[in-house]
Amino acid sequence: MTTPMIEASGVTKSFGAVQVLKGVDLVVNKGDVACLIGPSGSGKSTFLRCINHLEKHDAGNLLVDGEFVGYERRGNTLRELSDKQICAERSQIGMVFQRFNLFGHLTALENVTLGPIHVRVESPAAARDRAMTLLASVGLTEKASNYPSQLSGGQQQRVAIARALAMEPKLMLFDEPTSALDPELVGEVLEAMKQLANDGMTMVVVTHEMGFAREVANQLFFMDDGIVQESGDPREVLANPRTERLASFLSKVL
Amino acid sequence: MTSSGDEPLRVVPVRHVGRWFAGAGVIVIIAMMIHTFLSKIPTGQRLCHVVASSADHKVFRCVDELQWRFSWDVVGKYVTSANILKGLLMTLALTGLTMVIGVVLGATVAIMRLSPSRILAAPAWLFTWFFRGTPVYVQLLFWFNIAAIFPTIDFGIPFGPSLWHIEAVNLFTPFTAALVGLGLNEGAYMSEIIRGGILAVDEGQVEAANSVGLSRLQTLRLVVLPQAMRVIIPPTGNEVISMLKTSSLASALAVVELLKAAQNVYASTYEVIPLLIVASIWYLIVTTILSIGQFYIERHFSKGSLRNLPMTPWERIVRDARGVIGKMRTPRGLRGVRV
Repeated sequence: MTTPMIEASGVTKSFGAVQVLKGVDLVVNKGDVACLIGPSGSGKSTFLRCINHLEKHDAGNLLVDGEFVGYERRGNTLRELSDKQICAERSQIGMVFQRFNLFGHLTALENVTLGPIHVRVESPAAARDRAMTLLASVGLTEKASNYPSQLSGGQQQRVAIARALAMEPKLMLFDEPTSALDPELVGEVLEAMKQLANDGMTMVVVTHEMGFAREVANQLFFMDDGIVQESGDPREVLANPRTERLASFLSKVL
Repeated sequence: MTSSGDEPLRVVPVRHVGRWFAGAGVIVIIAMMIHTFLSKIPTGQRLCHVVASSADHKVFRCVDELQWRFSWDVVGKYVTSANILKGLLMTLALTGLTMVIGVVLGATVAIMRLSPSRILAAPAWLFTWFFRGTPVYVQLLFWFNIAAIFPTIDFGIPFGPSLWHIEAVNLFTPFTAALVGLGLNEGAYMSEIIRGGILAVDEGQVEAANSVGLSRLQTLRLVVLPQAMRVIIPPTGNEVISMLKTSSLASALAVVELLKAAQNVYASTYEVIPLLIVASIWYLIVTTILSIGQFYIERHFSKGSLRNLPMTPWERIVRDARGVIGKMRTPRGLRGVRV
């Protein structure tokens, strides 16, 4: 039994005169781990940011868990939701950024508890307990009171994962989570993501880590020129690319 | 290069001959200044007293009467006098209140200017343009004389009936005129400082806050402003110190702050320089206290952005003392380099 978590059809987005998304169609089911690959400028990060309304798409349907994000459908019109309603929807969708974006003035622990305390209105003590459990799950119990500037890139990214998980999201988005890391730190972040996938989290990962895609993902989408060019089981797609574009892309990254 | 045997090599630093000469020159100048500060000058009077006397004549010895060049005795007499201290209190009140007005106004104007709405952004720009573009002294005189063009000030429904009104001369006392003038001017400068601080926070911070589900206001309050503070605090400290001294312009509106209090004294005693020194001493004392406060506030807000916080002066003294003791304990040879 599969129910869709993300349904996108004909999603378009332009920045000024440049059309970045030219009609993205894809479906990600609950419990899926989907990887988005493609050359830079292909629109994969932009699409990811449209999913939690960090970018507003111009046209097309984009539903998360059966509902529009950032909009409300009334008959034939989509009304943009208020700031408060958008925030409530966003808090259900975790996001991990390429450049970590940890709050620099807060310790690792405070980074994780900020959302639970101020958005979910948990008591500080309860938020703290949960945050410590999450930090332990990414192996950072001892770094709880450190500031981001005192952590390595890999540690910062793991705190960022814990911060997103603290909101108990139904979906996690990863925007090139290992691209800004030193090569020897990539493994620890991928390990944390793998663990999350094994726990059954629905994940959409924009990545260049073909090894991760092959090993952990069960869905692969190859985007180029603003649309999904090829999709399917990662092992199959990576082994037998059907399009010339994917073949040439893979020959460059593998 | 090899050394002979195990003999440790001694490092001889370069001799900076030029620096020695410059240093000697500076010491001479400082000595001359101290001498001047502590020198005495003749008052023009002569003091005579009898050294010997007999029945028909007296022998006098006369010397020039001397006084401190800088009249330190007069300075000492007035520095803690009630009128001067009252003036000091007024200066502190003016500085504090205008800074509160300036910060609140500045934050509002900065946030308006960063708004996507032109109707909010343009007036904010205009405000800054006007109040930064005219001298604060002119603005003070303007508010002091505002009653000339607005005899009464009405509060009510815009373009509608007035609910309450007040005579401008009663509202704009010298004190409120100074407060409004200095506060508006300060607001213009603070808005630029706060805007710069907000712009200095990485956009990724806002995106991360949004992705966690924080509202726009929460993002500003919990994520952006605390990090902007690191950029905002140092220039704001400068503004406070600058305002302390700019508030002396209020003396022109007959507000009896520190300078006016000193002027009131010398208006009757003609001891101009000593009383200006009295005022200067207080300005220096308050500035020193403010600078110390600024150091600790900056230190607080640099948490997270610096790996190691700057040492407090006390920590520095402890470290230097340890260093000196450590050096005394280290055998001489160990300071050289073994090759």
